[in-house]
Amino acid sequence: MAELDLIPVWISLKTASISTIFTFFLGLAAARWIAYYRGRGKGLIDGLFTLPLVLPPTVLGFALLLLFGKHGPLGKLLLKMGTTVIFSWWATVIASTVVAFPLMYQTARGAFEQIEPNIESAARTLGASEWATFWRVTVPLAWPGIMAGIILSFARSLGEFGATLMIAGNIPGKTQTIPLAIYFAVAAGNNAKALGWVSVIMVISLVSILLLNYWKRNVHLYMKH
Amino acid sequence: MLEVKIDKTLPGFNLKVAFSMDQEILSIVGPSGSGKSLTLQCISGLMVPEEGYINVNGRVLFDSSRRINLPPQKRKIGYVFQNYALFPHLSVFDNVAFGISRQNRTEIETRVSYLLEKMRLGDYKERYPRHLSGGQQQRVALARALAPEPAILLLDEPFSALDTQVRGQLERELLTIHEFYKGNIIFVSHNLEEAYRLSSQIAVYEAGRILQFGPKSALINAPASKAVATLTGARNLAEGVIESLDNHQATVLVTDWNERFLISLSSANSYRPKQRVTVGIRPEYVCIIRERSCENMLRATVVEAVDGISTYTYRFKALNGLEKEFHLESEVSKLSAAFIPAGESCCLQLPANRIFIIE
Repeated sequence: MAELDLIPVWISLKTASISTIFTFFLGLAAARWIAYYRGRGKGLIDGLFTLPLVLPPTVLGFALLLLFGKHGPLGKLLLKMGTTVIFSWWATVIASTVVAFPLMYQTARGAFEQIEPNIESAARTLGASEWATFWRVTVPLAWPGIMAGIILSFARSLGEFGATLMIAGNIPGKTQTIPLAIYFAVAAGNNAKALGWVSVIMVISLVSILLLNYWKRNVHLYMKH
Repeated sequence: MLEVKIDKTLPGFNLKVAFSMDQEILSIVGPSGSGKSLTLQCISGLMVPEEGYINVNGRVLFDSSRRINLPPQKRKIGYVFQNYALFPHLSVFDNVAFGISRQNRTEIETRVSYLLEKMRLGDYKERYPRHLSGGQQQRVALARALAPEPAILLLDEPFSALDTQVRGQLERELLTIHEFYKGNIIFVSHNLEEAYRLSSQIAVYEAGRILQFGPKSALINAPASKAVATLTGARNLAEGVIESLDNHQATVLVTDWNERFLISLSSANSYRPKQRVTVGIRPEYVCIIRERSCENMLRATVVEAVDGISTYTYRFKALNGLEKEFHLESEVSKLSAAFIPAGESCCLQLPANRIFIIE
């Protein structure tokens, strides 16, 4: 077997980690908002937030390209600030974040909605601000669900291919993540090289799923300490 | 001092109540869905009335006309939820300490320890709520609500989730809380007996309205309406006409029973002769006697006799000589009388000072 090029592994891990951090905060904020939202259009907003989960990644990639491209609204803004994200490493993070966001959002929202509303009301009557109630009561109670969301988002980011290819391209050493490296290795007929990366990504994904199951099984253990 | 005026509309329901109270225990009693819990939610700020005014010890928490609406965080109100709503991820100590805003760690420890000692929870500091019995959880909820020294304590059906054996003990504990917690307590219940034992004032709710509010004895001895009489268990009601009256008593021809009765009156009353009224008496005040000897008597036949633990409950048919049947109920202590089987006739005496009149 040819010697394994570890640079895509490193890029993949870095991209997945950073995008998971973004997904965590964005997903949590969106979930908190929708779980407690009592206004109109709740179903529509929820649908928009969940859309990246069901759309083909190429559609997302195309949409991001329109948004961040030279003529896109965000692209123009960035250009004025003297920078561009298309075909840069940050593009891999953006693609991964968008694709993984619904997983974080959905699991966190489900976890928030499971919480007995009186427990949060109790915190408020005891003087805890909305912010304190969220971080000291809501998040700890929803933690098993949030943890599952984090692991799912990380795994999804790691496997991201379509949208990344469209807005970040396949630049070795810069935007070439494991899934891209595998695709181009196979396309070039270099199966041995692809196999190395396949085994790396399988190990990481398997560990993620084992972690997820471990967390799910220990929900009650967590609550008991 | 608590002053409350609330007008709150929810889909298919309107709550419109007003009352005030001093340093005492007030019970709100009524069937489920009558707006009892909603009242507590409005006082605590968890719900916002469309209109109203809430003032605790001179501090205005809510005033729709002046657009004042303090959030629940700023109201300083202790709330014990029906299911206790303890924080499952925090220990007993941390649950109680949650609402204490003081910075100093030793001060917090002193306060929490004091409350846990008061609630006999000293040995459970490190435990988590799910390891506690229902009664212990309730005591933690009480300690947690009292920890920030609230101006008023709200208890939403605190005994509904408990076994009968634990209830009695916790009721007594609640009364001891009132000894060291010098504030208003509002207690919501659907059990009148419980409310009567625990409080000095009672508000009877039905369908979002207060039917009667006042000292608990007035509720039992002088219900303001038929609805209150029925809700408080004064099940013997009948129609009648006042024939004559003076300052102390009235003679009423109870047409349903076809019999005249003397009824004691409080000095302040506005009844007139010939006025149509409803009279009533609680089943436990209906005496059964063997011979026809004195006034306020009614002949009746037992149609149903129930042998209870400490009382016999009878259902009588009034022997009124009328075509229409009227029934009365009586509850007699087993100590005072022997069991009377169904079918037997006897005399019922309705004491003049136990019959009440509803206009």
